[in-house]
Amino acid sequence: MSARFPAAAAPAAGTLRPRRRRRARPAVLAGRLAPYALLAPAAAVLGAVLAYPLYVLGRLSFERYGLAEIIQHKGVWVGLDNYTQILHDPQFWHVVVRTLAFTAVAVGSTMVLGTLIALLMGALGNFMRLVLATGLVFVWATPVVVAVTIWQWMVDYEFGVANWTLTKLHVGDFFHHDWFENPWSGFAVIAGVVVWGAIPFVAITLYAGLSQVPRELLEAASSDGANAWRVFRDITFPLMKPIFVILTTLSIIWDFQVFNQVWIMRDARPTEDYYVMSVYSFVESFRVSEYGLGSSIAVVMVLIMFAVAFFYIREMVKIGEAE
Amino acid sequence: MRARYVAAAGLVLALAVATSTAAARTSAPKRASADKITIWLMDDAQKGWPSVVAAATRAFQVKHPGVEVDVQYQQWTQHLTKLDAALAGGNAPDVTEMGNTETFKYIKAKAFTALNQKAYPNSKTWISGLEESCKSGNRLYCVPYYAGARAVIYRKDFYKKAGIKGTAKTLDAFVADGRKLMKKYGKDKAFSAYYHPGKNWYASMAFVYDYGGAIARFKKGRWVGTLNSPQAMKGLTRLKAMVGQLSRASKTVDEAHPYPSIPMARGKAASFIGSSWEWPYTLDPKVGDPKLAKFLGAYPMPSHIKGRFMPTLLGGSTLAIPTASRNRGLAADWIKAFTATNQQRSLIRISGWVPNTTILVPVLKTNPQAEPFARAAKYSFSVPPAANWASVESSNVLQNMLSSIFTGRASIQKATTSASAQITRILNTR
Amino acid sequence: MSSTTQVAPTPVAPTAARPPARPRSRHLGRRVVVNLLGVLVFVVMVFPVYWMVATSFKTGQDILSYTPKWFPIPATLDNFGDAIHRDYFWSDVKNSLIVVGVVVGLSLVLAFLAALALAKFRFYGRRAFIVLIIAVQMVPLNALIIPLYILLSKAHQVDKLSGLIVTYLSFVLPFTIWTLRGFIIGVPRELEEAAMVDGSTRFGAFVRILLPLVAPGLVATSIFAFIQAWNEFIFAYVLLSSPEKQTLTVWLAGFITTRGTDWGPLMAGATLTALPVVVFFVLVHRRIAFGLTAGAVRG
Repeated sequence: MSARFPAAAAPAAGTLRPRRRRRARPAVLAGRLAPYALLAPAAAVLGAVLAYPLYVLGRLSFERYGLAEIIQHKGVWVGLDNYTQILHDPQFWHVVVRTLAFTAVAVGSTMVLGTLIALLMGALGNFMRLVLATGLVFVWATPVVVAVTIWQWMVDYEFGVANWTLTKLHVGDFFHHDWFENPWSGFAVIAGVVVWGAIPFVAITLYAGLSQVPRELLEAASSDGANAWRVFRDITFPLMKPIFVILTTLSIIWDFQVFNQVWIMRDARPTEDYYVMSVYSFVESFRVSEYGLGSSIAVVMVLIMFAVAFFYIREMVKIGEAE
Repeated sequence: MRARYVAAAGLVLALAVATSTAAARTSAPKRASADKITIWLMDDAQKGWPSVVAAATRAFQVKHPGVEVDVQYQQWTQHLTKLDAALAGGNAPDVTEMGNTETFKYIKAKAFTALNQKAYPNSKTWISGLEESCKSGNRLYCVPYYAGARAVIYRKDFYKKAGIKGTAKTLDAFVADGRKLMKKYGKDKAFSAYYHPGKNWYASMAFVYDYGGAIARFKKGRWVGTLNSPQAMKGLTRLKAMVGQLSRASKTVDEAHPYPSIPMARGKAASFIGSSWEWPYTLDPKVGDPKLAKFLGAYPMPSHIKGRFMPTLLGGSTLAIPTASRNRGLAADWIKAFTATNQQRSLIRISGWVPNTTILVPVLKTNPQAEPFARAAKYSFSVPPAANWASVESSNVLQNMLSSIFTGRASIQKATTSASAQITRILNTR
Repeated sequence: MSSTTQVAPTPVAPTAARPPARPRSRHLGRRVVVNLLGVLVFVVMVFPVYWMVATSFKTGQDILSYTPKWFPIPATLDNFGDAIHRDYFWSDVKNSLIVVGVVVGLSLVLAFLAALALAKFRFYGRRAFIVLIIAVQMVPLNALIIPLYILLSKAHQVDKLSGLIVTYLSFVLPFTIWTLRGFIIGVPRELEEAAMVDGSTRFGAFVRILLPLVAPGLVATSIFAFIQAWNEFIFAYVLLSSPEKQTLTVWLAGFITTRGTDWGPLMAGATLTALPVVVFFVLVHRRIAFGLTAGAVRG
């Protein structure tokens, strides 16, 4: 097996690694406690910082906790009222559908474009690859707030470079074109900035994974007459499946919660047809100091995300189970 | 007589709430109470009149030597979230600046201490628009700080070249002037005789009030959204027609993206309704055009009724002392120092804003850049003094309604009815 | 080294991971097309960043111009000067560096240890913990502002950098643990076992063998942690009230005021804010590109 691709040697070399069974060792008790000891510091930080707030979040979702309650430091128990209120709000369902659709488009585009760019990077010469990678790095490093501001500036009604360029290229008359008048076009811009910001992480990660796929396999396949798509489908993708799963799960979690891109793009005043879940949550609750309602929306969001990503999470947990 | 007992009871209640919240804190507070007070002001003061803040602090420290004054400047965006967190966590500042449309909610929630009006400078002559936002049930819960009115800022050179003499005194005349401007300059597709971004609700609601309508009225014990009343709709119809003829601004952005000063500085707008600071902003060398200095002017927006001005929304800030503050006496003294007559005079001289007292308004008359705005303040309107008004603003009901009217996505009838229903619902919640 | 280690050489040297030169049999045309494509993708992706940097060198008049100016000529450094001379710039830089430095350092240590536990041991509660750290990443942060503030207030950690550090740690740890676990799984057992055959303890094997091998993974997750902590706004804004304690991101938000947005200085400030991240990134990017998936491919 080639010395250069040790990681990818795993499947073929699987027979070399003994099936998972810890051999007997001295100090078995220390061994038994070891994992807990290793886990303890991180668990302690997470527990100390998040346990109480998460508990409060859960509890607040069953309370009315507005400004008056904040002043008095005491919430009023209302049982499932918050949840009923949300679920009976017709706008809520529109928002859920809109967010799911947006997430699907954003995650799909990110993964497809990221994969294509990763493949491109694999095919480039060393210098061009470095240039492209550095460019992607710059994009990743730009703070989200700044990135959104630039994009907003680029599609600005009066001064935007997009309108000016499109008009000059005779694509149409984009003078004073308002990109956000129509929510479809507005979301296209928002999806643009989200996907643009997400691509570097995905592309670079996938490229790294790609670089571990044994060259010999790829060359053998293509010399057997398989075209690029089949090579990808039958060799590359299966070997890189774990990475795809990780990246897709992360993308779903992140894109479902998109807030800044929508909020800032609409100048902190989105109209209702721009509400995605986190914006809806913020406007309906936190902005008007209704923290009980806001907490219940957050809980519902987690449940939805969990349901949507369930399959991927199961894959995630299974990864490494065979160890 | 009775009021005094009520006031006393109110004070006891406020004290009880304050002490119970203090007790609710589980451990001893870090801040020793007489060493330091914390003031939250908006960054407008930091950028506009820091010398006034410094002078007030100096005057305060003459009276209270050894007390440190920590002024922390906030940003308008998210400042209420930050305040909520501070109130929830027991770290409330001693003084906080509030927008005058934000106070009702906090007053109703008993977040602010009741104050003794007589103890504050010029309290008998406070501008009523600001004072109203501080009162509840005859008690005072915050102190007026400053206000701003809006007027038409215009380019005299464009007016002159279009053959307009003087400035309009009625709405009809204003529209006629606008059409002359469009005739002369309208071939430039970016040009607006009157620049009106769609979501500019301050200028838009002025039309509603000018025609006798209102955003909401309190009828029979509950709030009712009244934007779909005949008068309100008439005002909006007039506005829509005017905007259609005279404005090329975006219909879906508000008055801050971009600030109309920018297009005006670039020669793409002949007039717009704005606050006093937007006049010098047009001349700002970084974003505007300093060469326009002698061509800018302002005048109150004329009403459709002869001899009057269109009512302007009196926007402004007030200063409140949270009930959770542990240094209420010191906080009150700082506010008194900050709103003292000479500090107010400096503030309005530097910034051109309207002072909190009518006594000082004549000072503005000597400032040609501030005078038209002070004059415009003669006719003003306020937002409904409802506890949940802030929620209406946060929910962007007015902006969304205006946006759909101007883009034509909804008829005026439909848009106003829907908005009124929303306002009714929000204002009457709880 | 014993012979067993040669079966699966270590994936350490990043340069060794570079794909080999493409087969020379491809003809020139294809190479030109591919390179052109590369240039195109580069230009499209980097344009907004270029626009930000270019704007920061433009005068106000050129920024707010109806006809876009593609190149910042005449260029001016005024915006940078304006940004740097704003109040609290340097103290906020210092604060951001401290916060990020501590967060990155601590998260690496804590996450590595935890990832070891999750990857190398079977124990009761392991699966639950994994699901928990995935689930925690699903909670919208906005919902945690008030509860977290109350908690920190009780612990007197409000308006303190330590409070913010501990908060960011809890945000960053789940992803970091999860990723490092993947790396550790990816390292061949033989290496560890060979070391132990040679007489080291298990923990010794962890430190001497495993740690260097997952170094790329550590670098990768450190960059992620850096970016998360560096660019976070709302918690920094709510938890820190004294201006001299705030972070650079909060400072940047101050450019957008109710009296107009200072575009030039904002873009200059943004460029300055992005710079440390870019520098850190460029210095280590080779190691991450390889590092992020060294383990994951093997599943």
